[in-house]
Formats: sequence, C-alpha cells, structure tokens
Amino acid sequence: MSSPLSGAKDALAGFGEMGRFSGRVVGQVLTLRVLRFLGEALRQCGVLIVSSTVVIWGLVFVIGLQCGLEGAYFTRSIGSPAYAGVFAAWCDLRELVPYAFGYMMAAKVGTGIVAELGSMRISDEIDALEVMGFDSVLFLCATRLLAAWLVLPFMYVASIGAGFFASYLAVVEQVGDVSSGGYLLIFWMFQNPPDLLYSLIKAMAMATLIVLVGCYYGYHAGGGPVGVGTATAKSMVVNLIIVHIIGMLGTQLFWGANPRAPIGG
Amino acid sequence: MPRIPRVPGFGGRDDSHADRTPQPDPTPDPVVRQDTETELDLPDDPPAAAAPAYGDVRETVELGREREEEPATHQWAEAPAPAVAAATTAGGAGAPHTRVVSEPPTGEEDEYAWHTGVRHPTGKPDAVEFVETHKAFGRNRILRGLNMGLPEGMISMILGPSGTGKSVCIKHMVGLLYPDEGDVLVHGDSVPGMALEPLLDMRKKFGVLFQDGALFGSMNIRDNVAFPLRQHTDKADSEVLEIVDRRMDEVGLGHSWDKFPNELSGGMRKRAGFARALVLDPSIVLFDEPDSGLDPVRTALLGELIMEIHAEMMGEAEQRGQAHLPAFSLITHDIMTARRVAQYISVLWKGRIVEAGPAEQLFNSDNAFVNQFLAGASRGPLGMN
Repeated sequence: MSSPLSGAKDALAGFGEMGRFSGRVVGQVLTLRVLRFLGEALRQCGVLIVSSTVVIWGLVFVIGLQCGLEGAYFTRSIGSPAYAGVFAAWCDLRELVPYAFGYMMAAKVGTGIVAELGSMRISDEIDALEVMGFDSVLFLCATRLLAAWLVLPFMYVASIGAGFFASYLAVVEQVGDVSSGGYLLIFWMFQNPPDLLYSLIKAMAMATLIVLVGCYYGYHAGGGPVGVGTATAKSMVVNLIIVHIIGMLGTQLFWGANPRAPIGG
Repeated sequence: MPRIPRVPGFGGRDDSHADRTPQPDPTPDPVVRQDTETELDLPDDPPAAAAPAYGDVRETVELGREREEEPATHQWAEAPAPAVAAATTAGGAGAPHTRVVSEPPTGEEDEYAWHTGVRHPTGKPDAVEFVETHKAFGRNRILRGLNMGLPEGMISMILGPSGTGKSVCIKHMVGLLYPDEGDVLVHGDSVPGMALEPLLDMRKKFGVLFQDGALFGSMNIRDNVAFPLRQHTDKADSEVLEIVDRRMDEVGLGHSWDKFPNELSGGMRKRAGFARALVLDPSIVLFDEPDSGLDPVRTALLGELIMEIHAEMMGEAEQRGQAHLPAFSLITHDIMTARRVAQYISVLWKGRIVEAGPAEQLFNSDNAFVNQFLAGASRGPLGMN
C-alpha cells in the first residue's frame, strides 16, 4: 500500500510530466511548426465549430436567462428593479459565462479529445502515425491546440452575446420591471471593453488548459477501453478543478483590486 | 508425413493417446531404454521438419515394480538442462500410464539451455540488427541480450511463443521503444542514438502492418492509403490516387475504396493496412501477426500476397540498382505461415534467439526447442509455463 507521501510524489511527478508535454505542444504551435499540418488544424477547426458551437451557445443562453431572472427578482425585492442590468452584466461577463464555457469545453471538447486520442492509442493508430514518419504530438495535439486558438475566441465572444441577449429577454421581456433603455443604460454602465478582454482571457486560459489536459490524457491512455474510460474520467476531474482555479484567480487578478463599479459617483 | 519425436517430460503436456496404450515390454531387461517416436498428422508435408532431435532420454519405466534408472546419455548432456523424468506406471488393470515429472528451471542458465544462439549465414547484409539488446518493463525483462539480424532481400520471420518479446522487437526497430542496453541498427545506423528529425526520416524506410491494420477511423480506406503520400510527397493528387489505386488493386480492395475501416472485415483491414504500408515503397516492411484473426484460407492468401509483392519489389529494386534490397519481416506464431512464406527464420524465446538461419536449415535443425516449435508439438522443452 502506498503511503500518502509517495502518492503526493507520484501526483507531483504526473503534473511535471503533464507540464512538460504541454510545453512541447505549446512550443510546436508558437514556433509555427504546426503549420506543416495546417490542413489537419483546419479540419479540427471545422470539427470544433460543427460539433461544439451550438451546444456551448445553448448552455450559455440558458445561463444568461438565469442571470437575468435572478437579477430582476433580486433587484425587485430591494426596490431597485432598474438596476437589474448590474447583476446581468457582472454575472454574464465576469463569472457565469466563463464558467459555463469552461464546463462545456471540459465536458464536450476535453473528453472528446481524450476519447479520440485514447482510442487511437489503443488501436495502434498513433504508433502507425509514428512509423509513417510523423511527429504524432505535432499532428494530433498541436493541431488541436491551434484549432482551439483559432476558433474559440470567436465562439466565446459570440457566446457572451448569447448570454447578454438571454438576460435582456429575461429582464425586459419576461419580468418587465424595467424598460429596454433603462436596462441597457445600467447594463453597459457596469462593464467596459477591458472587461470583455479579461473575460476572454479567462475563457481562453481555461480552453487552452482543457485542450492540453485532454491531449495529455488521451495521448498517454493505455490499458484498453477501460484505460481510455479511466483517462476520460480523470481528465474531466482535472479540467473541472482547472476551470474553478482559473475562474477564481482571474476574478481576483482582473477585478479584485478594482471592481470597476460606478457606484456613488 | 512428419514424425514428431515422443519425448516424455520437459514440462510438456503429454497428451498422446499412444502413451496410454499398453505396450509390450520390448526387452526383458528391467531397465528400458528407448528412442521413442510417435507419428502425428500435420496438414502440410514439411521438409523433415520434425526429425527426431532427441537422442536417448532418461526414462524410468515401471511395470508394477521398482526399476532402476539408467543414466542419461542424451544430446544435451553438456548443457545444464532441467532435470526431467517421465515414468510410465502400471495402473489398475495393468494398463500403464505416463506420469511426466518436470522440474522447473532453477536458474537463468537453465532457462537458456536450448539457446545455442547459432545464426546460419545467408551471405546478405542485415537490414535490421539487434546487438546485445536488453529491455525491461518494470521487473518484467522482455529482451535479455538479444542478438538478431533480419537480412536484406529476404522474407524473414520472427517466431516464438507468446509473450516472448516479438512485438517489442518491432517497436525497437522503428524507434517506438528504446533498449535499456545494447543497440538496434537499421541499415547500419543506430536507432537509439537518433534525434527526432533523423528518426522520423529513418522511419520512412519502414512500412508496418499492425495487427488490426491501425487504419485511421476518420478516413475511408483510399484516404488512409493516400495519407503518407499526401503528407510526405509533393505529388499531384491525381498521381497520388493513381499509386493508391494500384496498391489497392494489388491487395484486392480496388472496389472498396470508399469504405471506412469500421465497415471492413478483419482481413480487409489487414489488406488495407498492407497497401498503406507499401505506398511509400519502403525498403523494410514489418508485419505484426498478419495471420491473427484470419481463417486459414485468408491467411494462406495473405501469405501468397506477401510473397508476390516481395518478389515484385525485389525485381524493381534490382532493376533500379537500389542500395538496399527490400526486407520483409513477419512476426507470428503460425507455423503454417512460416512454412509457406519464410525464407529466413529467427526463433525467439525468453528474450534471446534460440537459433536463426535460412528456413530450410531451421526446419532441419537438431535443436530440441526449435524442433518442437516448428513442428507444433506438445512435447519438448516448451511447456505451458
């Protein structure tokens, strides 16, 4: 039976290995070696767009509805329904949309990568790539990371739009305690372009790590179908932890010192 | 008809009915010394494949009374072979039955009692060479000082029992695994010493047919076969497709080009994998158990296909005056495939070569292990454990 100390050592070694692997993948993208397989990267872009966009937008839309409803009823209860936009703005842009995006990335994209690469590993497809003279990490992982970087910023910004639209529908059209103009005045007053950038940074940090974790667990899967299933589950756990850590650190870093709330002049 | 030596003991399962048949005592002498043989039907007629390799074996025959044991004078007298004894005892109604007593090897030297390491010369350079190669996974030592060569211009076969390190050999050849000690040379270049880029270039010399074809599930088989050409060459797509279609016709899949791997049978996947392995005109083609999961007829047809394509590639290579003649290497434990296809055989066991050489010489070998394995006999040095 392994002691807690050796367990911790193994975990640390595992993170070190994951970090080295991730560094290799990021390096292959940043040095543009990945462009050797631009066609594969574009194919992965297509896969991301076709298979994940609607799901992510749909989830964020529902989250936007919830933010709108919570904001509308809370501000009604304290007698300031005109300020429902504050809740919607912060909830959507700073917290729930990045989290929802992270969850969906982990559940849909991350696990998909683990399952796909893991299946390729156990059916010798990765070995086949290697013996045909391909750098399999470059072909399978760097192309996926590049595809994520090319597609996800646009997908994320669009998903923020879906969240905003859903909150507007909930506050103005459904609850209806505030006019459209009144809602939008407050809504836009409590956010500015840097907030959008910070939110995007949070989401892209989550997405990048989720793709890297997915690639690591998929590429190193072993032990047959059970091993692939185990790797998928492990990657999901790691990714959820990562989403929460990045969410927390991002909020602390970007809005902790200066919440940029125009209250009291 | 091949004759399989009947040799009691050596850890082998003695399942011959002939052994349980009452036999007349050939001599009144209480000590019976026999050169015993039995005949088994094999589906093929091997060239003296199972010539009796054993001389006398130490054997004590008890016919209802104590018999004294005669000292062994067999051909392994000098080798530290495991102590073995088989006793035929009289049972119930006087029908004797055979009791096999085999002591497990006691040390590493015993394990290698049959490993002569003899390598009969072919007069051809080696395409791939293993030099004192060791490889372990944790405490499980797979290769233990392997010295083996795969000659150019021949169809080689690496034969050996399951779990003896055959597939690990393939992975060492293409640099998917590195030895813990020793070296692996491909056309004289050390694989473990290569950096990534030279290694990737070196791998282009290889075509590998994996057990299940290892086709990419996201592509139809034509795209699978075209994949290396599209990625590694600047050929126009029409030229690529021309080469691909020719290779697919050769393996009999010209009509199934638009099918995906999950729509193909095991044999078709293997043939598609074979076409993909050949498409870059590699100088070394490796087959990892090409017969696994195939019925005997498909296995025979695949064997013929391998021989045809090797002959064709040899002709092309000689015409072009290529520096290296094509070397095909099959990993299998199917003896029938070995008989049909192999020109050179290396018998691998416990991470070392037992004996290697041209197929004819191996099939006529005096080595007990080689003899048992190539005859597919149940009795001999190789047991279930």
